[in-house]
Amino acid sequence: MTPVTEPPLGEIDDEGERRALERSWRRRPGIAGWFTVTTHQALGKRYIVTAFVFLLIGGVEALFMRLQLARPDNPLIGPDKYNQLFTTHGTTMMFLFAVPMMEGMGVYLVPLMLGTRNVAFPRLNAFGYWMFLFGGIFLYAGFLTNTGPDAGWFAYTPLSGPQFSPGKRVDIWAQMITFTEISALCVATELIATILKMRAPGMSLTRIPMFCWSMLVQSFMVVFAMPAVMVASNIFLLLDRTVGTHFSNAAEGGDPLLYQHVFWFFGHPEVYIIFIPALGMVSSIVETHTRRAIFGYPAMVLSLVSTGFIGFGLWVHHMFATGLPQIGEAYFTAASMMIAVASGVQIFCWIATMWSGRVHMRTPMYFVLGFVFIFVLGGLTGVMLAAIPLDLQVHDTFFVVAHFHYVLIGGALFPLFGAFYHWFPKFTGRMMNDALGKINFWILFVGFNLTFFPMHILGLKGMTRRIYTYPAEMGWGPANALATVGACIILIGGIVFIANALASRVHGEIAGPDPWDGGTLEWAADSPPRNYNFVNLPVATSRYPMWTPPEERVVVTGVRHDRREALVTTLMDAEPPIWPFITALLLGLGLVGATFRFSWYYPAFGATGIGLIGWFWPRRPEGVRS
Amino acid sequence: MTRARTLFIWAAAVALNGCGGHQQSALDSVGPQAGKIESLWWFFLWLLTAIFLIVIFATLWALTRRHRGIEQEPLERIHLPSGETEHRLTRVVAGASILTVIILFALLIASVTTGKALSELGPKKQGITVEVTGNQWWWYVRYLNGDASRIVVTANEMHIPVGRPVMLRLNSNDVIHSFWTPNLHGKRDLIPGRVNTEWIEADHPGRWRGQCAEFCGMQHAHMAMWVIAEPEDQFERWMEAQRAPSKQPSSASELRGRDVFLNNACVFCHHIAGTPAAGQVAPDLTHVGSRLTLAAGTLPNTKGNLGGWIADPQNVKPGNHMAQIDLPPGDLEPLLDYLESLK
Amino acid sequence: MIRRRTLDVSGLPDIDVSSQEPIWWGQICLCCIEGAMFCILIACYFYFRLSLDMWPPPGTQLPHVAIPTVTLILAIVSCLGSYRASEGAKKNERGAMLRGLLLNLALGCAFLILRGYAWYTLNFNWASDVHGSTVWTILGLHTMDATADLLFTAVLIVALIFGRTGRSMRLAVHVDSVVWYFLVLIWIPLYIVIYWAPRFVGAPA
Repeated sequence: MTPVTEPPLGEIDDEGERRALERSWRRRPGIAGWFTVTTHQALGKRYIVTAFVFLLIGGVEALFMRLQLARPDNPLIGPDKYNQLFTTHGTTMMFLFAVPMMEGMGVYLVPLMLGTRNVAFPRLNAFGYWMFLFGGIFLYAGFLTNTGPDAGWFAYTPLSGPQFSPGKRVDIWAQMITFTEISALCVATELIATILKMRAPGMSLTRIPMFCWSMLVQSFMVVFAMPAVMVASNIFLLLDRTVGTHFSNAAEGGDPLLYQHVFWFFGHPEVYIIFIPALGMVSSIVETHTRRAIFGYPAMVLSLVSTGFIGFGLWVHHMFATGLPQIGEAYFTAASMMIAVASGVQIFCWIATMWSGRVHMRTPMYFVLGFVFIFVLGGLTGVMLAAIPLDLQVHDTFFVVAHFHYVLIGGALFPLFGAFYHWFPKFTGRMMNDALGKINFWILFVGFNLTFFPMHILGLKGMTRRIYTYPAEMGWGPANALATVGACIILIGGIVFIANALASRVHGEIAGPDPWDGGTLEWAADSPPRNYNFVNLPVATSRYPMWTPPEERVVVTGVRHDRREALVTTLMDAEPPIWPFITALLLGLGLVGATFRFSWYYPAFGATGIGLIGWFWPRRPEGVRS
Repeated sequence: MTRARTLFIWAAAVALNGCGGHQQSALDSVGPQAGKIESLWWFFLWLLTAIFLIVIFATLWALTRRHRGIEQEPLERIHLPSGETEHRLTRVVAGASILTVIILFALLIASVTTGKALSELGPKKQGITVEVTGNQWWWYVRYLNGDASRIVVTANEMHIPVGRPVMLRLNSNDVIHSFWTPNLHGKRDLIPGRVNTEWIEADHPGRWRGQCAEFCGMQHAHMAMWVIAEPEDQFERWMEAQRAPSKQPSSASELRGRDVFLNNACVFCHHIAGTPAAGQVAPDLTHVGSRLTLAAGTLPNTKGNLGGWIADPQNVKPGNHMAQIDLPPGDLEPLLDYLESLK
Repeated sequence: MIRRRTLDVSGLPDIDVSSQEPIWWGQICLCCIEGAMFCILIACYFYFRLSLDMWPPPGTQLPHVAIPTVTLILAIVSCLGSYRASEGAKKNERGAMLRGLLLNLALGCAFLILRGYAWYTLNFNWASDVHGSTVWTILGLHTMDATADLLFTAVLIVALIFGRTGRSMRLAVHVDSVVWYFLVLIWIPLYIVIYWAPRFVGAPA
């Protein structure tokens, strides 16, 4: 794709093209439409809404945990329920909220930002969504029938093995990972292909919006990290549990530590998988609301890419207490600290952007500032954890709980709330209430710090993680009570957000396509975007096409509008297909059955094969259209 | 500046010490290992707090610099700073990044130096070796000795001599646990099939609490242990007392209690030296009366607590592996007398 | 009617049977995923080997290498079929596609049958020890992938016979060959690990 020079003036039949596009991109009506949707806006929104529901569920679980810990020797929740609660909380937040939420934002925004009509593989996208939904339902079906996993979200062997966790609880956890990893891999694959091959003409590598860069890096991380969890949870854990292999059985030559290595080879990149897209969101928000191009674009991109690489070299810092050889540990300390440089560069660039731009203090910017405060603090405690001697003290204590909530809530959730406020007009066509948004921010900010800051001190004072109770003489009561109060304040913040979103959706100010005067291409589409996004595909004449004067902008003509077609791609699909749903359903049933009996895998894969054949069977000779 | 600093130190001290509990704290080091880590901690804390404040002030400054009342200004499509501003910013950002690298390098050196010092601490002096084995959910403790008859076995507490390094050999019988007495040292995992070692040393006499730090199942919360540091002679006396077989019953009630013990399922799991009870899967009870706590730090060791524990273990510590034995009325009291007499 | 600066692309072809297609990139991503998984399993194999004195553990016979070597050669030759099919797809020659796919399918099936026999002669299973668990898992996963791709090849053959030769059909043939190259390519290191590694690194450490 070479940049366009001197494009000719052409005539466009705006109305006629719009009508043709509406016809070929319309949804099937009724229930069938619900199961056959393949447009990225609809699926992106489903991802976002479903993941948000899981955020609420995970949040309520956290609240119950905080209530249990509010005072010493609290009889509210017993150990069995508590262990299920914290395992389900962690699993939900990592696998059912954070990753799918980021992917949903990517699915929704990336095609818009790239100026195309849909993701590269719309049916795969639909399949991925259904797998994610079924996985979530599966986990909660277990949880509600008192079969919730209870071995922690990283399910260390041998505690999670057949001997010490009989029953189906851990099987459900391990198989739930299968569902969500398939879903994540689907989205990663389609986003990579979309970003690499479907950018608007003129959008060279140096013109890709920061958010798309972040999704590209994230997708590559998913591609190389998820296979590790496949090996850990599906092969090591599930095979050990169902057919009696010996991967973690020390008596037969296996090694429980290998599970930890492989799990964290996934688990550490997982953190970056969650928070790299958030960095892209922060960049988008900052550049839009400071009204200037992001400072240091090449440095920002390089930081993202290097974070993606270094993220794979840190996993052992989760295992410093296991007693590995010292020289290797020193390397992992150095690598863990090195990644702070990449994050630091980005923070400096944002500050420089704000310093030299025209900051408009609207709600999204509040959340960005909250992000800077919380994330920098979390990053610095991360530097502490990288130092082995300090890690040996605070590892597996509430200090670590505080640290990763600062990094994940500060680093991902605050940018995400900022992103909701920022892109809500694009999603719904209406603005969110800004005044209420600022109130919402302050409630969340205060509640968050009140909840998690005391945990640093609790950890140093000896409070270990994952304990369901503690004796009064330990003196941990007051700080825990404070944290519980903070958790209730966070709940209020969440309610304010939901109220604001629901009310704004109906009564909010009409936004128009470009309420913030943004620079990237998503603001060229209608709000909410049509199924086909753009009547005429835009051409990226600069890094910020929307900041180019209108008379210099260029659009593409000649893409066929009488069928689902986008530039540099094949036909999207002949008509909205049901096969992704059926395939996901069959595979899902098989996977669920296989947690009870291994032999279910055979019919599962057979049935899935049939689903896939239906999916791929060429409908009719090409060139003939109904 | 000095006043602000004093105030800050004071506030930090209040925050860190205000929640009581010094017997399980990484910030009240009593040995060289924890001491070195604590020094490193304060170094990291002050340096990183300074960096945090600088970043936050820079951000706020960037915001307030010239944007007051900007909402009233006419909207411009894009704001383009001058080339000179860009150039200056590039230098500042590059400088800040280089500074970050330098600071991190300093922190890395401090960390590795401390780590090296820690690894050299133990083996220099004549020490003793204690084997600690993790079980769901209690600690098996064994003092190794070349002479098998001088080996001491106890559970859920460890006496150590002041000023002598103690090498812990850490192993597990079931799942992964982690040994952590923060006042003495950082944590080290107990992994089935492996032996990890760790050196600890106490500078002065005292009692410190430790707790399992790796989630190990249902009663992870109730897997604590006490480390009791004593002067050398007192420690030796304790060792001698522990080496002795159990005390013979000295009253009718204690005698009856011993029979109750020996005639019930207790003997399948527990060991009492000097009696036929030779179970190996639960804590050794030869000197149970001398211990500070019951059920791995769950309850203080009193007769009442012991009675409650034996009568209904699942009530005290739900999910634990101690069998519930329905004793006929009148048997519990003598049993308690007997067990409490095993000093 | 509005007048805008435009870039007319109506002259571009609908589908280009080549690496320009997103589906080709998607398939490369899937190969990366599978490849990463097999690499991790190889790493695990050697991790286990390093932690044990005897490899394979006592009681395990060294796997025979003769038949697996023949199957490897079969697999490599079968790539010729894939190659002919994908070249046929690029040039839109139905006959070449069909012949190539049939060759691929026939040799692929022979490959699987011989592998099944070699597998059957192993004197250990997944539950024997950790060596058995690792080898069986690698074999099982690769066999599952190969079976799935051969099934897909069979479906393509059926579709071709029924006269579907449109451009997306040709693209499918092209992408199918990419998958088969990958499966054969990844099998080479796996073959070395399973059948030769115990001989090279098997001595007591």
